[in-house]
Amino acid sequence: MRLSVIMPVHNREAFVGAALRSLLRQSTTADLDIIVIDDGSTDSTAAVVRSLASEAPCIRLFQQPNGGVTKARNAGLRQLLPQTRLVSFLDSDDISPAGRFEADLVRFEKDPSLELTYSRMTLVDRLDDETLEPAADSHSITVRGIHLSAGIFARTLVDRIGAFDEDFKQAEDTDYLLRVFESGTRYIMPDTVALYYRRHPGNMTKEADVPFREFMRAIHKSMKRHKADPSLRRVEGIFDFKDLAQWRFL
Amino acid sequence: MRQPDVYAVASKDIVFESFDGEAVVLDLSTGKYFGFSDSGSGVWQALSSGVSAGALAETGAIASAELTNFIARLLDFGLLAPADTAPNPLPVDLLSQLAAAREPLVVEAHDDLADLIVVDPIHEVEEPLGWPAVKLAN
Repeated sequence: MRLSVIMPVHNREAFVGAALRSLLRQSTTADLDIIVIDDGSTDSTAAVVRSLASEAPCIRLFQQPNGGVTKARNAGLRQLLPQTRLVSFLDSDDISPAGRFEADLVRFEKDPSLELTYSRMTLVDRLDDETLEPAADSHSITVRGIHLSAGIFARTLVDRIGAFDEDFKQAEDTDYLLRVFESGTRYIMPDTVALYYRRHPGNMTKEADVPFREFMRAIHKSMKRHKADPSLRRVEGIFDFKDLAQWRFL
Repeated sequence: MRQPDVYAVASKDIVFESFDGEAVVLDLSTGKYFGFSDSGSGVWQALSSGVSAGALAETGAIASAELTNFIARLLDFGLLAPADTAPNPLPVDLLSQLAAAREPLVVEAHDDLADLIVVDPIHEVEEPLGWPAVKLAN
């Protein structure tokens, strides 16, 4: 089953190589198609991607003027192949753990009606860029958070849900996941660690004011959807990051 | 001196935004979120910015019994509390929003997204103590 992984990237020359290598190491156990959308990078991001793509034709690089992460994700959706059966996402500064896809792909093979696996993520403050695993002296915590990389989405589901909502500058992933779960899709929640989420000073989600309003926008849109269609599911019992309450973030 | 019909947002855990005139309120301590009818959005925005209930009643846009019930619900939900401050004037744009409203005064509470709202790492931004090195003592 062809799995297309969409990676938007903007000026991440220091991280994008490791992110791509974390996917390529899984190419023997998953039929991978890697769609990189370079969203107007002005550093050497494209050169790093091209260098890896020259050795790995499953990497397809597309470049566009900078338009923000939401538009870049949509550009990725437009590049899905006719034979793409499954879709996932990896951000350019995160790492896909070894065996992550294999662990969840088997669920789709066993159950043709399955449309989504929604797994866990490990937040970590230091990754070893050689082993692509958390560094020995790192701090980490594993939760079922809100992250597109936690999911492997059936193509049928992706086609039904449609594009990311370009009203969002951020929290487009929260909005997308709410729409997915509200739709009543058939999903399971494996314990697979689907993502090492790298915390570093450039993380977009650490800006204070913009994400808050965008998060509120996602809730507002969810309320409007429920008002228009009361048959939509309530999104309960999926996300579980209670453990994060124990921690204080930068 | 406490004003009998002036209110303020009840605590720092009550946060809100407005999109196209529609208010969304979160209670970060409980994870509940609150949605409003069109008139409810306007009244919430007025009351939470210190416009007095009396000034709202005087507009004639809202029946005063309905307003009293609505305020009682906002107090019950812990979204508003009586304030000690002098009232602020009703902004003109809110007045026109209230005049144009078609729905009855409604506030609805939801708790299905509490898992997201109570602990959202995006919003834990108050103090630059480093991540995730500091575990809070309970």
